[in-house]
Amino acid sequence: MNIHPIKESIKANIQQSEDLVIKELKAEEKYLEVIYINTICDETQLQDFLIKPFFEIGENSHFLSYLLSHPKVKLFDSKKTVQEELISGKSVVFFENHIFLLDSKLDKNNTVTETSVEVTILGPQSGFSESLPTNVGLIRQRYPEKTLVIESTNIGSISKTSVNIVYDSKKVDQDVLNKVKEFLSSIEIEMFQSGEQLLDFTKKSKRTLFPTIMVTERPDRTAVNIAAGKVILLIAGSPFAMLMPTVLKDQMSAMADIYQTYWIGKFLLIVRYIGLITTITLPALYVALTSYNPEVFRAQLALSVAGSRHAVPYPSFVEVIIMLLMMELLMEASIRLPKAIGSTATTVGGLILGQAATEAGLVSNIMIIIVSLGAISNFVIPISTFSFAVRVSKYFILLLSIFYGLVGVILGVFMLLAYMVSLDSFGKPYLTFREERV
Amino acid sequence: MNQNVKRMMVVLVFLLLGFFLTGCGFKDIDKRLFVVSVAIDPVKENPKRVLVSLKFAVPIVEKISNESFIISQEGDTIAEAVRLMKSRVDKEIDFSHAKLIVYHEDVLKDEIEPNLYYWFIRRRDFQEMSWVAIGRPTALEVLKAKPKSERLPSNSLFLALGRDGTETAYIIPEYLFDFKKRFGEKGLDPLLPIIETKKDLFDINKVALLDKKKLKLELTPKETMLLNLFLTESPKTALKIADGENSFIIDTRAVKTKYKLITENQKDPHIKVDIHVNGRVEEAQFNVRNKDLKQYEKTANKDLEKKVHAVLKKIQEANVDPIGFGLRYRGRHMEKDDWKTWQRLYPELKFIINVNTNISDTGLVE
Repeated sequence: MNIHPIKESIKANIQQSEDLVIKELKAEEKYLEVIYINTICDETQLQDFLIKPFFEIGENSHFLSYLLSHPKVKLFDSKKTVQEELISGKSVVFFENHIFLLDSKLDKNNTVTETSVEVTILGPQSGFSESLPTNVGLIRQRYPEKTLVIESTNIGSISKTSVNIVYDSKKVDQDVLNKVKEFLSSIEIEMFQSGEQLLDFTKKSKRTLFPTIMVTERPDRTAVNIAAGKVILLIAGSPFAMLMPTVLKDQMSAMADIYQTYWIGKFLLIVRYIGLITTITLPALYVALTSYNPEVFRAQLALSVAGSRHAVPYPSFVEVIIMLLMMELLMEASIRLPKAIGSTATTVGGLILGQAATEAGLVSNIMIIIVSLGAISNFVIPISTFSFAVRVSKYFILLLSIFYGLVGVILGVFMLLAYMVSLDSFGKPYLTFREERV
Repeated sequence: MNQNVKRMMVVLVFLLLGFFLTGCGFKDIDKRLFVVSVAIDPVKENPKRVLVSLKFAVPIVEKISNESFIISQEGDTIAEAVRLMKSRVDKEIDFSHAKLIVYHEDVLKDEIEPNLYYWFIRRRDFQEMSWVAIGRPTALEVLKAKPKSERLPSNSLFLALGRDGTETAYIIPEYLFDFKKRFGEKGLDPLLPIIETKKDLFDINKVALLDKKKLKLELTPKETMLLNLFLTESPKTALKIADGENSFIIDTRAVKTKYKLITENQKDPHIKVDIHVNGRVEEAQFNVRNKDLKQYEKTANKDLEKKVHAVLKKIQEANVDPIGFGLRYRGRHMEKDDWKTWQRLYPELKFIINVNTNISDTGLVE
């Protein structure tokens, strides 16, 4: 085979850039040429698997058989694939009349990180890394079953992010699997960086409020969910796995539920649901009760609420909106800020601003309690994508309560419920509470 | 996509239109004046007019609670008086926490004007679980009283009547909805507790019995307590038992009262009352012995039978029926003229009382 035209065409097709390396190796009668991109290529592997043997093995035929039998070396397929592989980090080796691909991809970010989003007191503490093979390895370790299937695909027309579909072929629901594959093939996106981007594609309108895919950073949760028959997506470069299908009760469950004793787990679950209801309805209830239906309060409470609102110049809903906005700004700020001064922001914002706002008569004492209770309840929700959705949906009910009072709250909760009922996650109704076998 | 935008617009328009429908329901809590109790007094010069007094609670600001003020206004009707009052205060009058309606006796002495209680039922913001009572010397005086232990305006009365605070068999609370029902129901007559005020103290231990029109009878505290045995499930009380010269007191833990109308035998119609008393000796003027408990029980039975009989007789003679014997009769009889038969029967009914006391111990270790 004449490799020269191919070599030339590859060189011509690849844009000249700083990190493209074309190296010729010569030793006695042996001659070898290698092309790679040094920024995404592991040069120590190149050194170990290619350069050292090249100089150590004397004869041409011996070196050829070494290359042919090396597990990391693949024979040339076609021109197009060669170029793609080169861009994704492999080295192209021209030796004699053969073209080889050496898998020398640099596996960056393969350190396993500690969980930071879904923290538990008990149970495993490590999360996924940002490297796909490492993550697959983590799952394999936790799920040593021969029925575990790992399929590979790419998403993103530019990013070509490699995605692994992981499931247990024995336990998976075939309908769900087909739907997931159909869903993945239907995605049109240029840059695919992290699984959270998929959430918007779950609806035709591409506008989603409640996530129907779970995003988790915990390998233990992923393994448990594989056993429950779910389909897992692992995305290269993202320390989060996507679990499908996911319904409300999954979003409300924490891994700690399994690691606690039965009654403690149930108690914590109930507390979490109370938190969910509180955070959604509390600001709206405040407006409805103080401005429309104060008879619902006990006399004591009504009088002290009235007393604490005495100096407040604005109607209750302006008060609530001011405080909620402040809270949202605080939360956003504390994410953006570097960790070292993050706590300062919360102190300044939460304590000093809140205290000053009441003393200035801008908001009432009770309001501070309502807003902070609502915010705390929001943090109780274990899955952060869902907790964001809840954070937004409380404004909808608040809006209705401003105009219709208590009836508005009921209407809002009803509409929210109706919306959730209308959702489904890959064929599974969103509000189902049926337990799966684990 | 276009279709979607259109639909969104339609929804938005309806939502916006809806915002105009809200009316003037929105009124912040600090723009309302909460009425805690209402007093209705007669006007001496003109018996047709009423004097309405409202007690307003002042919101709690910085540890200052139990602040209140009273505004009184004469008017032909309650509604008129309240409307006139609105021009005398700075905020919207809110009745949603008005939990006590006090009437002056004289309003009930001759015929009570139904509007004097129907007005409260008709009002949307008036809760029907408010209490109704008679105030002495006047209804206004009851509103003015301010016991030392009170932390919120009128709250001590709410606690006493609601049994959240003190629990006693001498208070028979009456709710507005029940009061209304008793006016309409044949065979069940209204009753009202009497609140007497002396300086800043209350005394609620009597009950006034009404027929469908006016006040008929007032019971003494002891009679009130015995009547309460019929009205409340196992009231906590102390029963004084006379034993010849001496007497002892049973602290009741459970009292169960059942009654049966036996009217089939036309010659001898009677009401059979069974009272089970469970308790222990709390106080005695003589040396109590454990082995004599059976005998004390017997004495108690006899004494209680006599006392209960006297109360029932007194109520019967006034021809009022607060316990609802008539309602029970109507409930168990299907004849066309059952009500007429009952009206004929009731004045001459006999009461057979059967008390079964069970004294568990003397309260002491011998």
